[in-house]
Order: sequence, then structure tokens, then C-alpha cells
Amino acid sequence: MAKLNEKNEAQRVATDGQDLLVVQNLVKYFPVQGGLIASILHKGKIPAVKAVDGVTFTIKRGEVFGLAGESGSGKSTIGRLVLRLYEPTRGKVIFDGIDLLKLKPEDMRHIRSRMQLVFQDPLAALNPRMTIGQAIDNPAAIHLSHLNADERRQAVLDILHQVGMNPPEAYYNLYPHQISGGQRQRIVLARALVTHPELVVADEPIAMADVSVRSILLDLMLKMKQEFNLTYLFITHDLATAKYICDRIGVLYLGKMCEMGEVGEVYEYPLHPYTQALLAAVPVPDPKRRRTTKMPEGEIPNPINPPTGCHFHPRCPLAQAICSQKEPEIRELRPGHTVACHFAENFLPKE
Amino acid sequence: MTDDILYSIRNLTVDYKTRAGIVHAVDNVSLDIRRGEILGLVGESGCGKSTFGKALLRLHDGPASIPAGELWFDGRDLMKVPMKDMPEVRGAEIGMVFQDPMTSLNPVQSILEHLTETIQAHEPGTSDAAATARAEELIERLGIRHERLNEYPHQMSGGMRQRVMISLALALRAKLVIADEPTTSLDVIVEAKFLDLLKELQEEFGLTILLITHNIGVVAEVCDRVAVMYAAKMAEVGTAEEVFAAPKHPYTQGLLNSVPNIDMDEIELYKMGGEPPSLLHPPKGCRFHPRCPQAMEICGQQEPSFEEIANGHRTACWLYQAHEAAARAKEAANG
Amino acid sequence: MDTNIEKIPTTPPDEITWEDDLKKVGLLRRLLRARKWYGADWWFVAISSLAVLFFILVAIFPSWFAPYTPDTLVGPRFLAPNEIPAVSVLIAPSDSTISSLKDLAVDENADRPKVAVVMGASTSGDLNDTAKQIDADLISEGNGLRLRPVIERYDSLDSALQAVADGTDAVAVIESTEFAGVSQNYTSLREAGSLTGEVVSTSTKGFVMGTNDIGQDIYSRLIYGTRIALIIGFSSSLLSLFLGVPLGLLAGFIGGALDRLLSLVMDSLYAFPGLILAIAIAAVLGPSILNIIIAISVLYIPTYYRIVRGQTLTVKEEVYVEAARSIGARRSEILGRYIFPNVIPSVAIIFSVNVADAILTGAGLSFLGLGLPPTIADWGIDLARGQRFIQTAPWMITFPGLAILLVVLAFTLMGEGLTEIFNPKLRDR
Repeated sequence: MAKLNEKNEAQRVATDGQDLLVVQNLVKYFPVQGGLIASILHKGKIPAVKAVDGVTFTIKRGEVFGLAGESGSGKSTIGRLVLRLYEPTRGKVIFDGIDLLKLKPEDMRHIRSRMQLVFQDPLAALNPRMTIGQAIDNPAAIHLSHLNADERRQAVLDILHQVGMNPPEAYYNLYPHQISGGQRQRIVLARALVTHPELVVADEPIAMADVSVRSILLDLMLKMKQEFNLTYLFITHDLATAKYICDRIGVLYLGKMCEMGEVGEVYEYPLHPYTQALLAAVPVPDPKRRRTTKMPEGEIPNPINPPTGCHFHPRCPLAQAICSQKEPEIRELRPGHTVACHFAENFLPKE
Repeated sequence: MTDDILYSIRNLTVDYKTRAGIVHAVDNVSLDIRRGEILGLVGESGCGKSTFGKALLRLHDGPASIPAGELWFDGRDLMKVPMKDMPEVRGAEIGMVFQDPMTSLNPVQSILEHLTETIQAHEPGTSDAAATARAEELIERLGIRHERLNEYPHQMSGGMRQRVMISLALALRAKLVIADEPTTSLDVIVEAKFLDLLKELQEEFGLTILLITHNIGVVAEVCDRVAVMYAAKMAEVGTAEEVFAAPKHPYTQGLLNSVPNIDMDEIELYKMGGEPPSLLHPPKGCRFHPRCPQAMEICGQQEPSFEEIANGHRTACWLYQAHEAAARAKEAANG
Repeated sequence: MDTNIEKIPTTPPDEITWEDDLKKVGLLRRLLRARKWYGADWWFVAISSLAVLFFILVAIFPSWFAPYTPDTLVGPRFLAPNEIPAVSVLIAPSDSTISSLKDLAVDENADRPKVAVVMGASTSGDLNDTAKQIDADLISEGNGLRLRPVIERYDSLDSALQAVADGTDAVAVIESTEFAGVSQNYTSLREAGSLTGEVVSTSTKGFVMGTNDIGQDIYSRLIYGTRIALIIGFSSSLLSLFLGVPLGLLAGFIGGALDRLLSLVMDSLYAFPGLILAIAIAAVLGPSILNIIIAISVLYIPTYYRIVRGQTLTVKEEVYVEAARSIGARRSEILGRYIFPNVIPSVAIIFSVNVADAILTGAGLSFLGLGLPPTIADWGIDLARGQRFIQTAPWMITFPGLAILLVVLAFTLMGEGLTEIFNPKLRDR
């Protein structure tokens, strides 16, 4: 274990609390139709899905930062942009002081050992033609070239043991379809952790697991965080889970950040109408505490043609004229708690 | 008392023929659905709840069969109805809403066509005008503007499609709607509105709903009573309040304690060990016993029967039948 | 936390399918228990696989199965299956030098030779015809020799042979098979050649598939033809595969201009009617086995290309490929370890059927006279030959045709059946 850590320890500059990931004005548009003919037809302005439309946030080393939102919010896209699996249309991604978008492909490949992705569907995320051992060995072979084959195999067995697959040797030669869903997610986690990354982006990691297995996986992720000094970007639609595992959270709607702050803060004093609706909508497993709040009208609009001004205004019970004309700025209304709404002051707790 | 029960399922077993043998996907399950209630059927994947739901309509495909059971719907045993007459029952008396409406709606038919065709198929003689009027009224009641009736399924969002599915059931004035994971693919706000709709339909039309889901939060939000399935068997049934406040079966207890509750602060989530068992070779005795923190010796030897503990609250667990087991053991010792 | 997972259970999905249990079982068990799992289909696969193996065996060791080499003239021409190759032969005294009817020609004024025949046998008619023909030739030769035999009819074989034995008649003309039966009684007599100069067959039983237009055993030619058919089939399919698969992979993976260019070329090739394209190429290249293989393989390259390219495009979008990028794999590694192994099964599916098709095309080409030198035993050539005599000797075309049918059928069934066994996910039950 010591030998593995050497390389990464040397790269670790800061102690806990420093900014590990800084995202500035990140934008990603997916053009709907490409090509010459399309651009002629649309006179140069090709319609695009505005998946991420100017998102800014910072993740401190050692924290679990949640990105919450419904479909079309752009949370999954942000997860991939941060790892530069998609190229941003605009904006900056700075990882440990390094501007990722300025890196050459070869350097980008190297830096991947420090930032990994845990996927939503573990069966789809594992190559059906590779054994579990091979799958976990792959990143090790790419990035831990100072290890010989035996040492690498030992590293794979170690990580298998740490994620709870015991005895590790028994699983080394199995194929993904031969184990259960919960176990597969552990394998995906193991694959992400074998190079001892610093940042792990987890995209709905427990959504597809059985209900009784989810708590085990969450616990495992927290344990791994302790063990490896990890920082998580935790992407989810389930605010109950986010509350359980995240330190800070950002709420997205249609590609923009509505509200961001510490979990306790945001859940206790949600300042954005959308956040309030979202929190109220989460089903509570207690029949004595059924929801009484009314839900906002309408549905999530098409991200190709989002509403003008504040994206949420057509559904917002508080909407005024200004909401459709001017996009709200992001303002810090309470310490560490920012919100993008013209009328968020109305929700501040009366001191 | 019997008037209250709309659908009484007794000792239902559904078999699946697999290459490795026969699997009891539903194993001797009994359940009563009361008129006008929303009954939640909860369980994890593989417990048999979806198979159960489909069996209530006798909607099983190739390898599945129903070797045993009685399906007393509104006074008659559906198992005795010839298969060719079942389509009349489906839709007109029992409607079904599936998880992914995209695959149950015909992509080349408009919503209006879906509705009018359904109405006219079950009630021949309804004129086009009458059918259209009914469709419009219904869709408005479900929160979709009637101008959208001419749209096609792909033009509608997931939430809307689910409403269309419900409208198909309501169009024929079905008495019971079986909803199989209807909100699993929906966003949380849309889900909340859909659940509101279910409650409204229950009140306004006296609709009875069997809601099949793995999401116990959803169950707590809308259901009057709850049934919990595990490994093809019924583990517990009771009112929502009772089951959530004081769950009897250790599986239910574990399940409820392993789910994060947004209203509660810093709690330790319960971690259930092991995995759901293979239905090909289920554990001997109580199927939950390998994972049960309170397992006793008898749990591994004999399967507990599904008994009533308190008023309407039933469970299959030796913890509550321990005294019976002890009595029997005493008898055996004496006799 | 100690969730020690000792056993390896499966989490059954809500719809319990047999696929999950099947996945736990290895290949050998799958094959052994196949009948229980796959039902009647398995019999088709088993039978066709055995047939294919048998054909391969025949192709490798034709001499085990064929009584004659394909070129040997084994008997009279146009012999029907199992027809006894009865040939009219001359029976002469052992010490005479007569070897054909022409040897009986004598000067026009000399005594006419006497020839014994059995009464009622058809040989006398043949004798007359042959004698007249030879006589006509002799007249045109003009050296004074004539052949006008006196035909003496005897009422039994023995009396006819006796007549030759005691010198009354110069030769007897009887069926070869009849003589074979009684030859040991007449040690002073010998078979002196056939009446019409045809090959006298050593076989008394006939040939199971008959003989063709020059007297070769059709069955033996069929056996040897298997070798050529399979060589052509496998070689051209393999060549197509080795060219089409990498091109498809590259086009699908890299995309862009390369993809468009290659697809253009491939689609154009694909649009050609197969046989015509093969004919054109074979005609240009000239006759030889290698050229036929090349011509046919060009035909199937687009098939592999299209399928592989399509699969590559699909697999490229899979989550595990994204995962490979996220762990920092190079593009070459992604192509080689993540995309290629997941694309190959689809190739395996079409290979077997492709071999069948290639055999068919090869037969078609040689049927048209292109590609193979006529000295090689080949089903297509036999088909072509047989076509001319389809009315009089239908067996010449029937048996090669059946051979082609059976081999193609066996490969096709085997290919489709094997894919079901190795890829249970493809089945929809």
C-alpha cells in the first residue's frame, strides 16, 4: 500500500479544506443537428440542447459535494465535463490548480488516475468480456506502471478486499454477469479506487441497487472516503440520500444552479422556490407525515428552448414580470449559502 | 365484511418454467384488496410483486403458469373464467398501469385514438362523438388539456403518458387499477403530482388501487394499507400506520430502517446483510432467516404460516408464533 | 463493516428468466445438457455440426471414401446409378491376338469370319452396327479389307462359347458380365476387348451414382469435389473476414471522412449482384483456384464491413466504453479490448453462413466455366456437364446438385444453431 501511495502523495499539495475542484461558468450545448446543410437551414444558429448553462461551484478537498436535480438539470453532464469526458462549450475546470482544458490529451490521460467516475448502472459500466480482475487491473496497468505484474495483482486483490468482496481471489476470474447487482457496484467502485484517486465523481451510484443494499453501498463509500482521503462529487436525484451523505449541495434546474450551500442550511432554510418544491416532493417513509404542500404547475420545459430570464418562472408561484425578463444573479444571502432568485429574501428566516 | 373486499386472492402460486427447473415466482400468497383503498405492495426486485400484479389479470407469458390459487374478484373466481373471456375483464373491470408507458402505448396512434378505440372495443355501439366527448372530459380531469388529445405518445412527457394510461383504465370505469412501479421512471415532482392524482381518483371515483413499488416513501405517502413481499412470499400486511410505526416482520423492520428519511436528522442507516435468495433453491424454513438478526432455530427448519397478530395486521414470522411452536414442542415431548 | 459474501448468489430479476441460471453453467455442461435446455433445435445443431465435420473429413481424406480417383475412366459412359456396366465384349481363344472387332477384317475375297452370339441378346444388334461402321471405314481406307462377319446364333451362352473354344467361330460377342460368370469353365478363352472400344469395367455391381459423359465415376468426383468446395468456401470467407472486419472497426471507431469513403466503396460493392461481380473479377484475373477465392472474397467483404461497422457504432456508445475512457485508456486499447471483443460474436454468426454462400458462389462460377481449370474435380463443373444431358442422364446433374445443397444446408443450420448456444441472450423465448 505504501508504494502505491508514494506517487499520489507527492502530488498532493494541500491539506484538507483546500479547493480541489473549481468550476467556473461551465457551459455545454449539444447541437441538435450537425453538418453543413443544417447550418444553412438554420442560418447559422443551430438549435442546441443547453444541458449546462453557466454553472459555477467549488469543491473542497475531503468533502462530499452533492449535485441534485431532476432530468434535464444537467447534473450528469457536469459530472462528465468535470472529468473532461465531454468537451465544454465554454468555461473553466480547475483541478488541484491545474486548468484541465489546457492539458494535452496525453497529460489529460495521466491526470485521470487522480479523478475517477462511478457509474449509475454497474452492469453497463463493466465490459462483459473482461473478468473482474482484468477490469480492475486495467487502470492500474495504465497508471501504476512502476508496479510489476505481481504487485499489480496484489493491488487488485487488496482493493477487492477493501470493498468487501471476500475472498478476493474467488472473484478475480469471474465475469460481471456472474455476480449480483450490489456486488457489481462494488467492483465499479474498486475499479475507480485502485489508482488511489483524489476526486471521485459518483453519478447516481445507488439508484439501480436493491433498496436493502443501498445503505450498505453508501456506508462503503463513506468508509472508502475515510480510507483513501477521497473527495466526492455525488450526483443524485434523491434528496433524502443527498442529505444523508453530502456535506454541501448544489441544486440544479435546467442547466443552472438555483441554490447552493451546506446541507443542513439548504434543507432547513431553502431559499429558492424550486428547492422548496423539490424538498417537499420527496416521499417520506412515514404515513403520519404526508405532504400537504402543493406542487408547482407544469413540467420541466424543453432544454432546447428554455424559458427566458429565470428558467423556473413559468412554474413559480412567486413569479413577477422581472422573472421572465432578467436572469437572477447568484447571491450569498446567508453565510456559505447562495441562491439565484429575485425574491429569495422572502424566505429568509425571521431572526 | 365481505362486501368491503373487492379482490380476494387466495393461495396464489405462479410458476416460471426455467431451463434449470420450476421456479415459484409467487408462492402461496394470499391478499385481500378492500374496495376503495389504495393498497401498497412493497418488495425488492425479484420478490415476485410484479409477477403477482400481472397474475391478478392472468397476464402471464410463455414460461409462466398459475398452478394454484383463487382469484375472487367482485364475487367471481377469475381462475374459472375461460382465457378467451379475460380480455373483457381486463380494461373494463381491472386496469393496469405499467412502469414504462412508452412500450404500452402504440406509437402510431394518437391519444384520442387510444381512448376511443378502447371505449368502443369494450362498449360497442358507442358513437364516435360520444366516445370523443368522454375522452375529452377524462383527460381534462387528469390534468391534460383536451387539445393535446391529438398528440402522439412520443410528444408527451413521462408523467403525461402515465396519466394517459390511467385515463385508459378510467375510460372503462374499471373498479380496480393495478399500477406496477408507475412512478419509478418519473422525476420526483412529477411523481408527487401523480400520487396526488391517485388520491384524488380514489376520493372522487371510489377507485381501488393496488400500487406495486419498491419505494417505501411512495407507499407511505398514498397508501392506506401495505403488503410486504419477500422472496415470493407475503411477509407482512397491515395498515400503513401500523406497519410503519411498529413493523412486525424483521425484514420490514430492516427495510424501513435502511432507507434515508429526509425529515430526520443524522441517523444511522440499518445495513441488511446478505442478498435476496435464489428462488430456484430458497432457504429451508423461513426464507428470510439467513439474513434475520432475530433468527431462531425453528426458523431454519419450518416455514411460518401467515397469521393475524392484531386487528388485520398479519405476518409470517416465528417470533409471533413462538408460543405455538413451543406448545407443539411440548405436545411432542409429552405425546 | 463485514459483509462477507461467501457464496455467489444471483439476485433474480422480477421476471425470472432461465438466462440467469444458464450463465452459471460452463460450456461443457451446456453442451451436455443442451437437449434438455434447447429442445428440438439442439438436434438440428447436433446433426448439422456432425454433417459439417463429416464433410471436412471427406475433404481432407477423400481416398477413404472414394473408390476411384476422379479422373479414372471406370466404365462405360452414361451409366445410370447401379446399372450394371454391361459391355459387349469379344471372347476369343486365349492364344489369338484379336483385341478388337477390326482385327477380324479380311481381304474381300477371303472367307468371312464367323461370330457367335447368343440368341435374343442385344449384342447382335450392337455387333451389326459396329461391324457396318468399321466396314464403312475400311471401304474408305481402300486397302481391300472388308468386315462382313457371319453371325451365328446359338441358343445358349455355353454353346456360343463352345463354338469359339473348338474353333468353329472366330470370336463370340457376349455381355462382359455374363462371361465373368462362366470364365473359369473356359480356360482356353479370354476376353479380348470390348466391342465398341469402350472401357470394360472391372466392377460387376455398377456405380452407385453412375458415370458421366466420359465414363468417370460420379460418386468419386463428388468426394473429391468436396475438397475443392470447402477450400474455396473457407478460404474466401476467411479472406473476407480478415479484410472486412478491421475496415469496419476502423470506420466505426474513427468515423468522419474515412468512414464516409469506406462506406461509399463498400456500399457500391454491396449493390452489385453477387455472382455478376464474381464473374467479372474471375474473368479479369483468369482461371485458377486462387483467383476464384479472391473473386468470391471480394463479394463478402462488404457484408463483414457493414455488420462490424454497425456493431462498432453501437458498442462505442456503451457505458463501459465511456468507462474505459474515464480510466485513461488509449484509443488503441479501447478498440482492442473493449470494442473488438464485443463486436466479434456478431462476426462469428455470419461466418458459417458465409461459408455456405461462398461454396454456392464458387459452384456457380465453375458452372459457368470461369475460374477452375477443367482438370480439377469440382461440383460446379459437373453440374455444367450434366446440364447438357439432363434428359438422357439426369443423374449427372442431380448428385452434384444434391451435394451442394446438403453442404450449404449443413453449414447454414450449424451456424445459426451455434449462435443460439453460445449467445443465449439472442434467443427470444
